[in-house]
Amino acid sequence: MEAWLDTVNVDTATPEQLAALDEMSPQARTSPYFLVLAHQPEILLQRSIAFNAIMFAPGGMPRAERELGATVESRVNGCVYCASVHAQRFEQLARRNDVISQVFEEPEGAGTTEREKAIVEFSIRLGAEPDKVTADDMRKLKDVGLGELEILDLIHSVAIFAWANRLMLNLGEPVFPEAEASDVS
Amino acid sequence: MTSTTDVIDAVVPLAPDQPTWTLRRQREKVLAATQGSYDAMFSPAVEGISVTERLLVALHACRVSKADSLAAHYRDRLLAEGADAAAVASVDAGKPVADARLQAMLAFTGKLIERPIEGDKAAVQSLAASGLSTPAIVAMSQLIAFLSYQIRVAAGLKALAALEVSA
Repeated sequence: MEAWLDTVNVDTATPEQLAALDEMSPQARTSPYFLVLAHQPEILLQRSIAFNAIMFAPGGMPRAERELGATVESRVNGCVYCASVHAQRFEQLARRNDVISQVFEEPEGAGTTEREKAIVEFSIRLGAEPDKVTADDMRKLKDVGLGELEILDLIHSVAIFAWANRLMLNLGEPVFPEAEASDVS
Repeated sequence: MTSTTDVIDAVVPLAPDQPTWTLRRQREKVLAATQGSYDAMFSPAVEGISVTERLLVALHACRVSKADSLAAHYRDRLLAEGADAAAVASVDAGKPVADARLQAMLAFTGKLIERPIEGDKAAVQSLAASGLSTPAIVAMSQLIAFLSYQIRVAAGLKALAALEVSA
């Protein structure tokens, strides 16, 4: 990504800044995006802990489905960069890309199973109109077999991308192809 | 297990006797980092943008998103901080404020909350032009992005808690 603001210089970064970058990922020290965020190390540290716990914690919703929620939110927000990175993660985890192709084409109605359709539909709704989410939306998720921890993981996955997309769309522009596709989230 | 309640519990609201309160504790790290983020966003240690300015940005973001209980939370905090009542009332009513720097921040907030795709170089640079340092712009961008997260976490949990009651 090409940053629109000054980046922190890794060579002169404070221990707090380096700790926040390392909490995010092993590649963060070389990412202009994270080097901009390192101007506020405590904020970056907390966000990194939240991000990794939401996307990688064991149990609950399968990781591929968390990536699906993230991809849908990014697609709806128009964050091409986040959508492409997390679509790849879905494909690596699920070893298929059928639902992702559908989401890229048109998120509304995407999904290869009833469960996927419900996940996609809820992700669109929570992303676009959080004030309209009701118990009925939760019931639909339960009806296709999602447990409560899975629903919580999905809420968190969509919400953390509401956060990530706004930062990414706001602080710089993507450099394609795969310039730093490593770990920009 | 974290037994104390946090801002999310307070605004949803969730009490320790509810299944959704207990469910949140299954993702202890997320819970702690969500509250940790909130604390960092409004920390007096962040320079270049006052706590009152940040709370006004939060009130505006919640109003635009129709997140009523979170808006009430930030309104209460503003009053507790002794913020200028006229500025709070203007933001609360969705009207422009007199202070040009604050108005630039609020305009940026509304755009990023509602139409994040329109974020561009010019918008970020307009903040710099109104006197914000790079670290202050990063703090403000993180704050607005965090608010869109907080609003969705609270909305999702509220719906889950409502299902509990109706089940």
